[in-house]
Amino acid sequence: MKIFSGKIKALVFLFLVLNPVSQIFAQNISVTATVDKNSLTLEDVLQLSIVIKGTQNTPPPELPSLPDFRVVSAGTSSSTQYINTQRSVSITHNYQLAPMNTGTFVIGPARVRANGKTFSTQPITIAVQKPSGQKTTGNKNAFVVTTLSSKKAYIGEQLVYTFLLFHRIDAKNLNLSLPFDKTRFHKEELGEPKSFIKVVNGIQYHVQELSLALFPLEKGLHEIPASAIELDLLHPMRTRSSRDPFGQFFGQRARAEHKILRSEPLSIEVLPLPDGAPEGFANIIGHVTISAELGKKNLEVGGTTTLTVTVAGKGNVRDITFDEPDLKGYFKIYPDKPEFHQTVRNNQIEGKKVFKFALVPLEAGNRTLPKFSLPFFDPGKSQYSVAQTQPLSLNIKPSTTKEELNLVQSRQQNAPASKPEIEILGRDIFPIYTELDKFQNVRSHSPAFLATGFGSPVFLFIISAFLIKRQKRMKYDVAFYRHRNAYKNANQRLKKMSGPSDSSDPKEFGRELSEILREYVGNKLNRQGKAITAEEVETRLKEANYESAEATRELLEKCETLQFAPTTRGNTKELLSRAEDLIKLLEKQS
Amino acid sequence: MKNAFSVFLFFALTLFTSLPTEGSEYLQEIVRANDLYAEKHYAQSAEAYESLIHKGIRNGYLHYNLANAYIRMGKIGPAILNYVHARKWIPRDENLEANLKFAIQQSQDKIELPAPGTLSTLFFWSNDLNLNELIYLAIGLNFVFWISLSLWLYFPGLKIVRNALLCLLLVSFISIGVKRESGFKPAVVLTKRVEVKSGRAEDAVTLFQLHEGALLTVTDEHENWLEVRLNDEQKGWVPKNSMGH
Repeated sequence: MKIFSGKIKALVFLFLVLNPVSQIFAQNISVTATVDKNSLTLEDVLQLSIVIKGTQNTPPPELPSLPDFRVVSAGTSSSTQYINTQRSVSITHNYQLAPMNTGTFVIGPARVRANGKTFSTQPITIAVQKPSGQKTTGNKNAFVVTTLSSKKAYIGEQLVYTFLLFHRIDAKNLNLSLPFDKTRFHKEELGEPKSFIKVVNGIQYHVQELSLALFPLEKGLHEIPASAIELDLLHPMRTRSSRDPFGQFFGQRARAEHKILRSEPLSIEVLPLPDGAPEGFANIIGHVTISAELGKKNLEVGGTTTLTVTVAGKGNVRDITFDEPDLKGYFKIYPDKPEFHQTVRNNQIEGKKVFKFALVPLEAGNRTLPKFSLPFFDPGKSQYSVAQTQPLSLNIKPSTTKEELNLVQSRQQNAPASKPEIEILGRDIFPIYTELDKFQNVRSHSPAFLATGFGSPVFLFIISAFLIKRQKRMKYDVAFYRHRNAYKNANQRLKKMSGPSDSSDPKEFGRELSEILREYVGNKLNRQGKAITAEEVETRLKEANYESAEATRELLEKCETLQFAPTTRGNTKELLSRAEDLIKLLEKQS
Repeated sequence: MKNAFSVFLFFALTLFTSLPTEGSEYLQEIVRANDLYAEKHYAQSAEAYESLIHKGIRNGYLHYNLANAYIRMGKIGPAILNYVHARKWIPRDENLEANLKFAIQQSQDKIELPAPGTLSTLFFWSNDLNLNELIYLAIGLNFVFWISLSLWLYFPGLKIVRNALLCLLLVSFISIGVKRESGFKPAVVLTKRVEVKSGRAEDAVTLFQLHEGALLTVTDEHENWLEVRLNDEQKGWVPKNSMGH
């Protein structure tokens, strides 16, 4: 036995020594944080790596609060090494930290929980500086420039904001953010970005240009914040000889550098519109022209012609509206839905809006349609102008057909096919409820209510099931029926006997009373009552555990005595009373 | 037997006739709040509605009116929260659905109500009925079932009807369970902005940011933190005081 125990101990020792799992537990856990650089500019991105040695089964590290950096997880990598049968494991959590401000910052300790303990890294000090030579394009691999078409503009005037990315080397994973205060500027895109090559200070750059139209909404001096673009610059690496035929085949290798390039913020002074706006001015800002034409100038009463009013030009042409022209009852007017087309030419948004009205003349004669006027503010000239159409004349002849024009026919029948689209003019919430009957307090149901609601049908069912069962038994079970009705029948007969009209013959009285008693006992015990003797009644009642068995026999014998040796009437009354009491007693005992 | 039935009848009638009827004071307060709303005193109106809710009044239309007042005040977060509360009691109200959509569109994140889960889809009627209506339905079916059971004792041919009613009764009970348990527990961002953290600590990693009115589902609660889920992939912890639920 001792030999075996010694071998077992040796095996356990070997198992513990050689088992890799035990080695893992034996390893010391250490956590370190490293950065790829301690000094960087606002354009650079800091690589923070948290290395956990000794285990790979830990939750992600809890990073310290880093309000001056934007933190993005850059994934994890794990490694396992065997050196001289020693197994070591580690896992590295990588993060990219993009600085938001300049200054000296301390990256506090990151915490890692492993094996029930908390490990912390050492704090790291980082210096963030402004990019060197930001104002000059210098000899940089990439830089950004933003421009605004004007430093002064009126409210509603279109400005062109241009973002230019210059890069000497390839760039990929571009992520542009153009922050604007939506309450101060309305923004519209001006088409796809453009690419071209430009030489700056003798250096050839690839340029990516993106232009936006901005419409100031508020007067005052506003700042357009800096735009930022995140990108990876690909620095070529000359690892292979240019003569190497495989170099071209495999392509040139490149090192990616993650950068955040920021532009300078721009300021703009937004001027209010000057006083003296003409009547009917509806905040149309730009430069527009207006024209009107008629489809037919000669037509009959009841015929149709189309009045087309076209507004075109620069600015917010989309917002232009016209009411139906006042034609003083000479025409019926059916407006069509306006059509709008927008184009961008030389970074300037231009629009064309076409209004069509179907006119049906109601009277013959020469008519002149009134002019259409459109007041607008021209920011180029800094003054208000009014665009007008020329007056249009029509010659309306009397109708050649006798058919009278139906002046009240529905628009759908007469109007040219209009587009059945409903223009949404505004959105709002539905009103509050005011009917007081809706405001009853909704209470949770009490357990008593639920118990009654769900329990009462069960209770009713039990009652009804009992009644149904009893009714069925009364119908089909003779013994039960006789047992249940024994007292009722006996009582009825006894009452009948006690009545004044009853027979005064003691012999008959004794026979009747004896029969009632024996029938009652027979019904109770499901036997032929009339045929059994007083002794037999006693025996049967005793068998059925009736305590009054003896008294019953005695009463029956008295009845028989009366039947065969009649006495006075007073004795019959006493016997009747005793019989009633006895039956009540037997009923209680049953 | 007769006496027992009389006692039962008295007990049942007492319970049913004591259904909630509120005093005139409460209704007067409702009228006052509605009048304040009509006069565009939205803040006072909201205060009056809130005081009624704090007194323990539970009514979908009360939450609806309160939400309208908050919308008028420009407080999208409390508005969405109260519309969501109102849905518990008046789930079929079209005005409520329209206003809730409007409010969600006004929020920065525009997060719609989550789609109903598998159980809620299976028991689809439970989405259109409030809990009380489901309980009344179950009580009604319970009555009909036991009556059918009594009739079945007389007419054994009614076995199919009895079984069908039993199935309906069971389904109605399950519907109540689905409504109570699997209904989503909503939470709405009430502050201008909230950072959703990876853990229950201020210095935990910020996973994403949400803004006032963002609608989330509460999945866990721990001291002053709520675990919230945005969708199948995005969840995290937020301070409880920044949310309404």
